[in-house]
Amino acid sequence: MAESRTRSATSGTQFLDPTVLGRIGNLQLLARIVVDGFLTGLHRSPHLGFSIDFAEHRAYMPGDDIRRIDWRLFARTDRHYIKLFEADTNANFVVVLDVSASMSYGSHSLSKLDYARYLAACLSFFSSQQRDRVGLVTFDHEIVEYVPPSMKHLDTILHLLDQAKAGRPGSLAEPLLQVNELLSRKGILVIISDFYEEPGEVLSAIGPLRARGHDVIVFHVMDPNELEFPFEEASGFEDLETSEQIPVIPARLREDYKRMVGQHLETLQEQFTGSRIDYTLLDTSKPLDLALFQYLLAREQLMRTR
Amino acid sequence: MSLAFLVPLFLLGIAGVVVPILIHLTRRQRRNVVRFPSLMFLEKIPYQEQRRRRVQHWFLLLLRALALAVLAMAFARPFFQDDELGLGASGGPREVVVLIDQSYSMEIGNQLEQARDEAQQVFNGLGPLDRASLVAFSQGASVLARSTADRTRLRAALDTVRLSSGSTSFGPALKVAQTILEESNLPGGEVFLLSDFQRNGWVGDEGVRLPAGSTFTPIALGDEEIEENILVTDISLPRQSVAGRERVTPTARVVRRGGTTPREVVVSLDIDGQELQSQSIALAPDAAGAVEFPALTISRPHTRGTVRLPEDDLSADNSHHFVVSPGTALSVLILEGAGAETDVSLYLRQALDITDDGRFRVSVRRASNVRPVDLENTDAVFLNDVQIDGASAERLRTFVDEGGGLLIALGEQGGWPASAADMLPGTIGPVQDRLQGRGGRLGFLEYGHSVFEVFSGPRSGDFTGARFFRARGFQPSEEGAVLARFDDGSVALAELRLGRGRVLVWTNTLNSYWSDLALQPVYLPFVHRLAEYLGGRAEAVPWFTIGQVVNLANPEALLTAGLVSSEAAGLAEGDDQVALTPTGTTIEMPAEEGARYLPLEEHGFYTVRPPGSEPERPFVMAVNVELDESNLARMDPEQLELQIMAPPSADAGGFNIGESAAMQRQDQERRQSIWRWMLILALALFMGETVLSNFVSRKTAGAQGALVG
Repeated sequence: MAESRTRSATSGTQFLDPTVLGRIGNLQLLARIVVDGFLTGLHRSPHLGFSIDFAEHRAYMPGDDIRRIDWRLFARTDRHYIKLFEADTNANFVVVLDVSASMSYGSHSLSKLDYARYLAACLSFFSSQQRDRVGLVTFDHEIVEYVPPSMKHLDTILHLLDQAKAGRPGSLAEPLLQVNELLSRKGILVIISDFYEEPGEVLSAIGPLRARGHDVIVFHVMDPNELEFPFEEASGFEDLETSEQIPVIPARLREDYKRMVGQHLETLQEQFTGSRIDYTLLDTSKPLDLALFQYLLAREQLMRTR
Repeated sequence: MSLAFLVPLFLLGIAGVVVPILIHLTRRQRRNVVRFPSLMFLEKIPYQEQRRRRVQHWFLLLLRALALAVLAMAFARPFFQDDELGLGASGGPREVVVLIDQSYSMEIGNQLEQARDEAQQVFNGLGPLDRASLVAFSQGASVLARSTADRTRLRAALDTVRLSSGSTSFGPALKVAQTILEESNLPGGEVFLLSDFQRNGWVGDEGVRLPAGSTFTPIALGDEEIEENILVTDISLPRQSVAGRERVTPTARVVRRGGTTPREVVVSLDIDGQELQSQSIALAPDAAGAVEFPALTISRPHTRGTVRLPEDDLSADNSHHFVVSPGTALSVLILEGAGAETDVSLYLRQALDITDDGRFRVSVRRASNVRPVDLENTDAVFLNDVQIDGASAERLRTFVDEGGGLLIALGEQGGWPASAADMLPGTIGPVQDRLQGRGGRLGFLEYGHSVFEVFSGPRSGDFTGARFFRARGFQPSEEGAVLARFDDGSVALAELRLGRGRVLVWTNTLNSYWSDLALQPVYLPFVHRLAEYLGGRAEAVPWFTIGQVVNLANPEALLTAGLVSSEAAGLAEGDDQVALTPTGTTIEMPAEEGARYLPLEEHGFYTVRPPGSEPERPFVMAVNVELDESNLARMDPEQLELQIMAPPSADAGGFNIGESAAMQRQDQERRQSIWRWMLILALALFMGETVLSNFVSRKTAGAQGALVG
């Protein structure tokens, strides 16, 4: 379903192309362009009406839910109008963004961190539009920045995202433990990371957040080179976080590498799904809409459950 | 015997073997490093196969490390130290320079043989680390063996020392010794001077200073005093022309040095190897006398003459050689007009006739033409105020082309056919009078020219007294050269070189018609110089002195050397020549561009002839010794020592054992020169490494392997 929506939205969402996004310096403008363009292409109607705040009336169109016809207005005007409401869940929405050194990797115009920053900005902007309280946590092996969820913090969040830089080694357990302590109120947690840890360790770090009642959405950001390992020349490979080097014959190791990465992703998928955590693998060479759809789907499910 | 290093500090360079290791370890990674987010997955993949491949390259690494180690050891200058090797007799290695006097005075009392023995003793006394040089000297110095420890070579060099005909000069030899000591790195320097120490050999401070710390050992040879020495110092060879034949009267000057009582000395004259005459002369102690031999008729060219004295202790100065040739008189033809005054050539003829040695054979002809017979055996032609025809001019052209000289004195009647105008240095103009005042004078003379060169000195000829009242105008051409001008700028004497000869134009008369030059004292030498210049005559020297050099490619030099003019040009331009020295040594003188110098180093006669030929009268040059050497007065060697030794400085004499040991090590290392072999080995290793690494590279090209180590 998400794929079909992606295809239908492509024509109106040229700004979701990462290479285009890379040319836009202002993160707020970027988020606005992306979200507006994205929503315009999708039609707004499916996503409005969850809130109690009246937005506007519009003429009934065949196919609209007849439960949403304003019968009082029909009585006065003898015409069918649909009563629309502003979506406003007033929930806590926190982006937990990995800014460890490995996120600085990028084989094309956008690094993983850039991609993650755009994604975080878009989601924050989108959520802010939905009148959620938005917050931000950036972390590597500890929490780097923390912006408590608030309806007024969007600007701060966008600014911090703009300034975010990857540089230090990262880990999940310690910073997420701190996040768990910081966020007492349940909300939506979007965790964006490359998850270079064993699946068991990842789950043990994220699991407590889910157990506390947060709705956790995980975006796993990977560069295409990390997935395909297209290197040819025998080279020294240097770990961005530890600076350790090892000599590698890519052609010889490629299949092994891809197999191991595939196993890793598969295990993560299984374990997250088993823990009822939404997990999405994002390729930084692909447009952002997949992530946004994933988020919207999660929101939809969330609303249904409420 | 143990291995030691002269510069062990360079062994630190062995640490450089880590360089290839580091390069080996880091090169590929640094050259191509991929920064990757995480090695989490890569580290889990085993690569044992790569480690096995490393073994091959460890060998390459070992080769590189070995080459570097060998290179470092080569720079450390290794040598096998022989601890038993002792120092020289004086306590340290010495640079010994032996100077042997080979001047001709060393023949007295067999002094040269004594010098050889003394030198041999010096060489026998050399320590194992000493080095020695052998220098033979007379007027100059030649190094026969330079700074060598090879005794055989020194002995061989000593055997080559022969008596020379040169005189003694200590300066050049001591300068050579100074240079050898200064260039030596041995701590001790010692100079042995083996000589008879003639006073004339040292003129004082000649800028010689032996280096500080060196010693000077004069060894005076021939203790016995020579009682007397009789020598021939000079020979005069005045010529006379009697009945068309030249006669020479040799007069020898004989000097007696020393002696106690008057004695009779027999002086003999050899001509062409045959004793011709002998005469006795009574000489008092330290006196001189002249012996005049009867006049000789010289009929053959290159006649060799020798004046001999009886043998005494110093034989080289007992004979004096000379060479004379007949036909040295210049044949001058004076042509005057058929209708001219009878005394038109009076002054000219008289001037040419007045010589000491009959230098000019003058013939006068009154005619307006020149016959071929007139030019046979003629060196110079004076056309004295005569107008000749065109055919005569053409004959004269040929004559000049072949080396003859022509002077045209214009005067009233004088002229030149227009058909041969190119033979003149300009164009003849009309008569110009200078009757105002006291007449004209010569205002400019080219004193650099051969004609006027002898008049350039003070009181050597005054042309300013001559007054000229009339002259022919003359416009010089571009090819012509003006040798003299009157004070109004008009030409007096002009020259044109034509072929091998020359043409002079005198715009005045050579008698007293137009000027009073003929009445001036300078007229006679002026006319003589004109005739000599036209005839191409240079003053021939009857002998040379040891040390002089003759350029066989220069005709004038050959004429000076006494070669008759007909042969001089041929020899100068000619083919290969061979010079035979008085001792019979042959010197090849191949025909080549530029100068061909023949150094005259032996006493006697040098013969020059084409190779393989036996000419009846070859070109001969006589060479006599420098007579300074005949003065056997001796000097005190200490005087010499005082002048050449540097004043002792504070550290000059200090040669300590430490220095000696260091020198010994250096010397051993230098002799062994192991570093050269090690450099070659290092080079070979590097080349092997290059070949091997190229081979490995080719073999592994395309292979997928990361090389570690």
